[in-house]
Amino acid sequence: MEYQDEGRDRRITQLRKGILELAVMGVLYDERHYGYSLVRVLSESGSISLKEGTIYPILARLDRDGLVRSEWVESDQGPPRKYYTLTSSGRQLFDALSQELDVLVSLVQQKWKVSEQSEHARKKLVVRKG
Amino acid sequence: MYSYPDVVAKIASDYLERVKSQLRLVSAHEQGDFLREIESHLFEAYQQTPGEDDVARILAVLRNFGEPAEVVADRLPGAMVRSGTKHNLPLYVVGGILIALFGLPLGSAGAGVLVGLLAAVAGILVAYYAVAGSFLLVGALTMLIGLTRILLPQLFDRLVVLGYIQLGGPVGEFLDHFSPSYQGLLMILFASVFAAAGLGMLWLGRYLLRGLRFLFSLTFDWMRRFAQRVRRKLRQDNREAPQLGKVSFVKQ
Repeated sequence: MEYQDEGRDRRITQLRKGILELAVMGVLYDERHYGYSLVRVLSESGSISLKEGTIYPILARLDRDGLVRSEWVESDQGPPRKYYTLTSSGRQLFDALSQELDVLVSLVQQKWKVSEQSEHARKKLVVRKG
Repeated sequence: MYSYPDVVAKIASDYLERVKSQLRLVSAHEQGDFLREIESHLFEAYQQTPGEDDVARILAVLRNFGEPAEVVADRLPGAMVRSGTKHNLPLYVVGGILIALFGLPLGSAGAGVLVGLLAAVAGILVAYYAVAGSFLLVGALTMLIGLTRILLPQLFDRLVVLGYIQLGGPVGEFLDHFSPSYQGLLMILFASVFAAAGLGMLWLGRYLLRGLRFLFSLTFDWMRRFAQRVRRKLRQDNREAPQLGKVSFVKQ
């Protein structure tokens, strides 16, 4: 039975939202950004396509937790921009989280390997039977 | 607002007002800071969005940006997220007035009055649902009769002769003016009105149920706290009574 599209989309959105905070920290790791430029960088990478406004609750949360530092900078192209930089504790947390993510990703890939191996073994059995 | 055309400025400022209205519980400084940031984002996104229709451009920007509620989600203190609390406020007021009027001055008698009132309200609710159910039943039966009149006119006549369907009086006289098919259609129309009324009542009943559930929980909570207070007082009295006895025995 096919899994319903609506439920699948909701889960994909949840997965993206969960990873978005880490992605934001990753973008701010080496370079300072303001909200709009951050959205552009994230959307240019392709896989993350969320509502642009959802970046601000994340930035607010990171700011509140002391993981980013913000400052207003005047712009000659329009209104001033609020730039964000990752703090040293933000960098430490990013390193720890990305390691954790690597573990999770390898866990998921491990599952693929297992299913590939079992598929391979099944084929072998079929060959022997023949 | 910078180099926005007027109509775009109006749409953008309306959006910012909507965001602002969601931020009522946030400090003025933080509110201003956040609105400036969004304003800056909208302006730049608008400049970068291609197109000749200004309104379509700003609407596309706002669509991509998301609803104000999504944007302010983490700006509100956890306990102050307003969803739901606003709707319950009038019920809190009603509950508070009921307790103040009956519960506090009259003590347990007041509680009795409250329980009586709640029972009466529950009775009204049951009657309400009974009426809604009757409407639906009448609608379904009349629709069935109407369909019978159109599709099986002989059966309909037989049922009239046997007395299962009685269409005498002004209704019968009125229907006699039309052909059997029109009579059936009129009955179905009549049935639809009843069915719609029944369904409407069921839909509105959700609010009644919600209100009643709230009043019940409020009252029971108040009674539970009252009982706890009484129990605590009784326990205190019991603790004091044997000590007095002991003292008098020692004195003897």
